[in-house]
Amino acid sequence: MKSRFEEFHPLVSFIFFVLALSLFILMIHPVFLLLGLIFILMINITYRSVEQLRQWAAFMIISSLFIFLLNPLFNERGRHVLFMFHQHRITAESLIYGGMSALSLVIIMAMFVSYNKIMTPNKLLYLFSKILPQFAVLLMLTLRFIPLMKRRLDEISSIQLSKGISVLHGALNKRVKTGLLYVQVLLTYSLEEAIQTADSMKARGYGTRVRSSYEYFKFKKRDGLALVYLLLLYLLILWGRFNGFGHLTVYPIMESWQLGTGDIRIMLFYCLFLGFPLLIELGGYIRWHILN
Amino acid sequence: MAYIELKNVSFSYPEANQPAIHNLSLQVEKGQFIVLFGASGSGKSTLLRLLKKEIMPHGELSGEILLDGVSIENQTVNTGFVFQDPENQVVADNVLHEMVFGLENIGLSTNEMRSRVAEMVHYFDAENLLNRDTHELSGGMKQQINLASVLLMQPDILLLDEPTAQLDPVSAREFLNMLVHLNEEFGMTIILAEHRLEEIFLLADSIVLMDKGEVKVQGETRQVLENLWKNPPFNKYVPSIPSLYLSLGGKEKLPLSVKEGRSWTQTVEIAKKDRTRLTEITEELLNAQNIYFQYQKDDGYILKELNLSIRKGDFYALLGGNGSGKSTLLKLLAGVLKPERGKLIFKGKQLKAWKNKNLAAEIGYLPQNPKLFFIQDTVEKEIQDTTEQWGLKNEHEVAPLLEKLGINHLRHNNPYDLSGGELQKAALACLLLRKPEILLLDEPTKGLDPLSKDNLADILCKLNCEGVSILMSTHDVEFAARYASKCGMMFQGSITSESEPDAFFSGNFFYTTMVQRLFRSRPDEQIVTLEEAVELCRLRR
Repeated sequence: MKSRFEEFHPLVSFIFFVLALSLFILMIHPVFLLLGLIFILMINITYRSVEQLRQWAAFMIISSLFIFLLNPLFNERGRHVLFMFHQHRITAESLIYGGMSALSLVIIMAMFVSYNKIMTPNKLLYLFSKILPQFAVLLMLTLRFIPLMKRRLDEISSIQLSKGISVLHGALNKRVKTGLLYVQVLLTYSLEEAIQTADSMKARGYGTRVRSSYEYFKFKKRDGLALVYLLLLYLLILWGRFNGFGHLTVYPIMESWQLGTGDIRIMLFYCLFLGFPLLIELGGYIRWHILN
Repeated sequence: MAYIELKNVSFSYPEANQPAIHNLSLQVEKGQFIVLFGASGSGKSTLLRLLKKEIMPHGELSGEILLDGVSIENQTVNTGFVFQDPENQVVADNVLHEMVFGLENIGLSTNEMRSRVAEMVHYFDAENLLNRDTHELSGGMKQQINLASVLLMQPDILLLDEPTAQLDPVSAREFLNMLVHLNEEFGMTIILAEHRLEEIFLLADSIVLMDKGEVKVQGETRQVLENLWKNPPFNKYVPSIPSLYLSLGGKEKLPLSVKEGRSWTQTVEIAKKDRTRLTEITEELLNAQNIYFQYQKDDGYILKELNLSIRKGDFYALLGGNGSGKSTLLKLLAGVLKPERGKLIFKGKQLKAWKNKNLAAEIGYLPQNPKLFFIQDTVEKEIQDTTEQWGLKNEHEVAPLLEKLGINHLRHNNPYDLSGGELQKAALACLLLRKPEILLLDEPTKGLDPLSKDNLADILCKLNCEGVSILMSTHDVEFAARYASKCGMMFQGSITSESEPDAFFSGNFFYTTMVQRLFRSRPDEQIVTLEEAVELCRLRR
């Protein structure tokens, strides 16, 4: 069954993800980041993308560890020196800053997992075709071509394997040479075949007139309301952010991490914003059970 | 004034020695269904392309092409074009995108697109396909989507360039039936180039044989066929039912369909055939036991519980629909894919215990798409590469082999410049140099005209006599019936039935030859091929 959030107009989902991305970059504060992480995980669970998340987990952990460790190594700023490492000051500030950047990165990556699940290529294409129709055609061709090239390459290597030629056996220089030959075959073949695709495009009137685009999605009233809700909250959070709330200053002097009243108010907006898909699903769930 | 009129048209491609179309004149009335046939390279595709301004090939054109009285350069008649390859003419990744692609190009409003798509999808009964990815579809489905996408643009003329060349018999029949409907119900003018002639001749108003860029014979089907019969080698184009009638010296109205043929066979005497066959049981060469295979974990099994045994000297033809797993099976047997479960045994030893190189020496695999077989840029270099790789000392055998296959003059050509049949022979030459024990051929008859098909059959039969075992997948029922020693039917990932051609084809309804359909009403007779029928039948006096 499709969830309610997925049934929103692609513009709503797209705006949500873009704005959420900017929030994860702007609101660098341990409490905000932790909340963000929880929300993103819950969104991933709701939209059944935990499996994909698990596939990415190793990469996410390694790259965030990398950032967490590299920041203190290259950054000596800060007052609280924890210890010296080869005449290099390791400060508490740089550790905390590194930790927050790492967390922000994890959240962003986790967000892209659910983004991929919800923003199907079809939706993205639709959004682009409104602004840049020519680019949309290019995107559509690319979307088909990348998996197609992959399938062709598999085909080539299996056919060559049947001839006893393989990139997996033999001396390294020979393997590299074979690999290059594969790519050469792939490219010549794909170019040849693309001529036919081009003919088929021309035969269907491509490039004769100004293109229109098929509207796969209708912009409904509730899409408008959702957009207003998201933008309003976002502006409030942004206003708070520029007044110094929801952000932990680390350099040159580290603030206390505790939240003031202003911070808490912004945090509330922050939660309402990120929780939007969850609220929508919850609303749908309640309505379903009351109606039945 | 004819609807489509070509007057003394000649066309030559740049740097070509001979014109592709030579002084050709042709008239087509509105609402006619025309079938073009002839050897590959006879100019069918060029002729079709000349009728559509947007994809007209570059080259030198003389003469006059008129559509609805207007010259082709300032043409406004809406022409639709369906190409041969189902895969390459697809533009989008998703079926709905593909369908509306043309409509978007001509700038229709969404509302109009919606109503046209709704109607067409309903007509094609493709509602469940709309949200699928195009690459998941079988060849037959893809070709139907391509047709739908062209029809959405509401053409007055429909041009089709061998649209069913890659389809299985059932899908091809479905596709052709759809064309007949379009022609009859909407009066659409259709020009179809086709190799698969058995069924198509029935449907056409007029048929046109092309040879070396010229119209050889043209006219009403029966007249043309009788004419062809007297002019070898063009008698190869005559389908089996009229062929049978003509070889028995029938003088009345030429039967074309099974229905017409059946009433005529009542007047035929059939001699009993001696069916005791000497079959010596030879040793087993290749054996598959309880094979399971899937490409991706959750995709479902492509092959399951599959058992197959090939004996030395077999000529085994594997039939079955598009996507039934034939190609996958051949790849497994060639050792390029590994089964998930089950055993593959080649010459008494498990396939996975063989070294890749030794296996490649024994098993020759000809892929469905021979273009990808060539890794070098000329045929000559590819052959050299093969001899070097295998340390072959038999260079003196190369020239006779190429001569035998009839491709010696193409040695220095780029594989991409060869026609489908030539390409196949070139790949076959490379395979034969390593002297394999068994050949695995993936649809070798695909897109071949009757003459090249006979030529291929000769080569394969000779090899078979020399002791090479052959396993081929094919959609060509007539070919399998005539040459194979054993036939198997793939369905849902396993071989559901298997026997000698006579018994195999007399049990089937779709996957059977025209001759067998003709004699189906006489259940005591197992006549499957034309040769057999010609041998056994005598007209009653």
